[in-house]
Amino acid sequence: MTRMMEKLSPQTLRILALLAVLLVILLFFSLVIPNYLNGRLFNRISSSVAIMALIATAQTLVIITRNIDLSIGSILGFVAFATGSLVTNNPDLGPVPLVLYSITIGACFGAINGVLVAFVRVPSIIVTLGTMALFRSVLVEYSDAKSITTSNLPQWLVEFPNTVLFSIGQMQFRAAFVAAVIVVLIVHLALTRLNAARKLYAIGSNPEAAEMAGINIHKTVFVAFVLSGALAGLGGFMFLARFGTITVVAGLGFELKSVAASVVGGVNIFGGSGTVIGALIGAILVDVIETSLVRWQLVSEFWREAVLGALILLSVAADAVLMRRFISLRRKRPKSDPIPEKTSVLDGEAR
Amino acid sequence: MAETILELLDISKSFEMTHALKNMSLELKAGEVHAIVGENGAGKSTMIKIMTGVHKPTSGEIRIDGQARTLSGTQAAREAGIAAMYQEPMVFPDLDVAENIFISARNKGLFLKPTQQRQAARALVTRLGMSLDVELAASGLTLAEQQIVEIARALSEDVRVLIMDEPTASLSAYEASQLRRIAKTLAQEGVAVVYISHRLEEIFEIADRVTVIRDGGHISTRPISETTADLMIAEMVGRDVGNYFAKIPGTATDTVALKVRNLAVDDVFEGVNFDLHKGEVLCFSGLVGARRTDVALALFGVKPATRGTIEVNGTAVEIRHPKQAMDIGIAYVSEDRRKLGLAMPMSIQSNTSLATLGKFLRRFGLLDRAEERNVAEAFRKRLNIRTPNVDIAVGTLSGGNQQKVMLAKWLNMEPEILIFDEPTRGIDVGAKAEVHELIREFAKAGGAALVISSDLPEVMALGDRNLVMREGRQMGVIASENATQEKIMALATGQQNLREAS
Repeated sequence: MTRMMEKLSPQTLRILALLAVLLVILLFFSLVIPNYLNGRLFNRISSSVAIMALIATAQTLVIITRNIDLSIGSILGFVAFATGSLVTNNPDLGPVPLVLYSITIGACFGAINGVLVAFVRVPSIIVTLGTMALFRSVLVEYSDAKSITTSNLPQWLVEFPNTVLFSIGQMQFRAAFVAAVIVVLIVHLALTRLNAARKLYAIGSNPEAAEMAGINIHKTVFVAFVLSGALAGLGGFMFLARFGTITVVAGLGFELKSVAASVVGGVNIFGGSGTVIGALIGAILVDVIETSLVRWQLVSEFWREAVLGALILLSVAADAVLMRRFISLRRKRPKSDPIPEKTSVLDGEAR
Repeated sequence: MAETILELLDISKSFEMTHALKNMSLELKAGEVHAIVGENGAGKSTMIKIMTGVHKPTSGEIRIDGQARTLSGTQAAREAGIAAMYQEPMVFPDLDVAENIFISARNKGLFLKPTQQRQAARALVTRLGMSLDVELAASGLTLAEQQIVEIARALSEDVRVLIMDEPTASLSAYEASQLRRIAKTLAQEGVAVVYISHRLEEIFEIADRVTVIRDGGHISTRPISETTADLMIAEMVGRDVGNYFAKIPGTATDTVALKVRNLAVDDVFEGVNFDLHKGEVLCFSGLVGARRTDVALALFGVKPATRGTIEVNGTAVEIRHPKQAMDIGIAYVSEDRRKLGLAMPMSIQSNTSLATLGKFLRRFGLLDRAEERNVAEAFRKRLNIRTPNVDIAVGTLSGGNQQKVMLAKWLNMEPEILIFDEPTRGIDVGAKAEVHELIREFAKAGGAALVISSDLPEVMALGDRNLVMREGRQMGVIASENATQEKIMALATGQQNLREAS
């Protein structure tokens, strides 16, 4: 056991810890909710996770660089509406141009954030707080108080998310979920295998050192925001396909959900570490809790949000405790030097 | 000797009003260890930043291999083969050792090759004669190991000029000797090593040439065989007569305000002993890494002492928290106005009352704004703070006036013992004289002042006695009538022991 621990990287351990917490939560709800663990639960959660996984991935890319993107929900909402109205007016358009259209609009919004954060050097929380409201207002103006309705959408688009690709028992693997997981896996591979991805982590880990190491911080942060926007755009496409009816409130509040999913998934809010697989599991965890609470008779509607918040805090705490356990197990092997404490600001002359 | 790699010609650099470098020149040759010595604030760090492309010179020329070059940024400097290593290494705590080493490598291709990268990292670490697990995250490394990572990073980029800024200041003796060995080896391989250190004995051990700089200018460059410690010290402190401050007569009494015996913070400093009298100004001298600020922080309870005793007015006290220190009448004026001293966006008035808010609270805990204003106005007149009114944000004032606001904040506490940490750093000569006068007035009124200063003329003018520290140890106490800059510097650099000094 201990030997196996040594071989695993901290990131893998973190994912194992998350999966353990997920398992405990599923077991808990299966005890308090009759007829809980079945195919329907899987299908329901996998459908909503399909969208959440994409925006959690988008958010993770930005958080790794020690930034945050609060405009994700607004980008998703705008893209869902814009793509919906494009296909309403041109029903013959196929999936490829539509997806490209969604991604491009999302990337353009992301580029606006990116320019303001990376080049004008306004803190990302301020920039995206502003653009969150701004993009939403653009949507209100653009939509002209109309909505997209399912009846105007081509049949293939509405059917796409629920197309069952394959089933295991009662569990149906639907197209939207499978597509989202594939995107997450691609981003994961890119983050772990590409040289350029190290720059994202380096900037979040120590921006000053990154500058000294000759990394172009501005360009890299800009790219992170563009990618985040593009993924949010893809999320907008998924949102359109799943719900069909799009109003000006589409994607409202998704920005905070994406932050929650990332953080629960072990992405360090101060940048420098985290995986998108973690963010995916974080998204699943939040969704499982949210969905299950609706079915838990004991908790009244009024307390649902509070219990959700408490459970999220609890699972983050449990994850942290488990991680520490894993790491102390690894540390059992003899190590010559103690870890130096980080020098504090008070170290006056030592600097 | 070998060919010249890097040359600085008449480089000047000014930041707004202050001239950090004035016509600085330097010549670095392949295969040499070139030591650079100078007092704190002599311009060493600005010079490094010019060479590494962080700052652009205001005037002058940088030549690489005899060709005039403009370093547009850190990337350009790295491409030219110039790398710097700092006392606090620039590592990425979340990345592993191998990734840290190769973070700025170019032409790596699209994909990471972890196995290959780790092998290359191991080879570099071995070449440095060290053993280090390259798969370990950098957050788990000791300071010395982090420096090894930085040197390996420089090596991976075919470094030609490696600048080491105070590399051994925070290392143990063994680690420091390893680092010096590495510096020497690199020079033998043809790298020009710039070695900046306050430890003169280190310089005699490894340097081939020594450059002394002072007040932002070049003083001398000599082969190590043609210089002595005394000569270096004389050149480091020698100044124009115009820069001296007039010696102010002392007002020390016989009453001991603060008695410190064997004070220590484990692994930081130890064996600090002194009596501070009422009406006295005691100066703390020393170079970077002397740990003077740590003594002050221990006395003020920020980082409490782990051993030793403190007596205030004859009563033994234990100071574990700044609040306790303030209650017994100790105030600490920090060296870092921006981080630890002032709330920059807040008004002068609010800053003045910040440490003593309790004095201004009235019924229901409401703040007495009128009283606050009166006090701030009184200090404005008393300290001659140049400002149209006390409502303006402290951040908009000049450095000297900011310093006065900080003084006002602590004087308002009516302390018996006032610790000043670098009270005149970064302020102009006129304001310096005013701050000196204020410190003197405080002492004259019966206060006990402890002044930490790296400015030797200031120490000479202000201090009734000088306590010199070096690397966490008290090297000696010199009465002002016996003190010379050379004596203080000799103690601070460890060239003279206690017996000879006193």
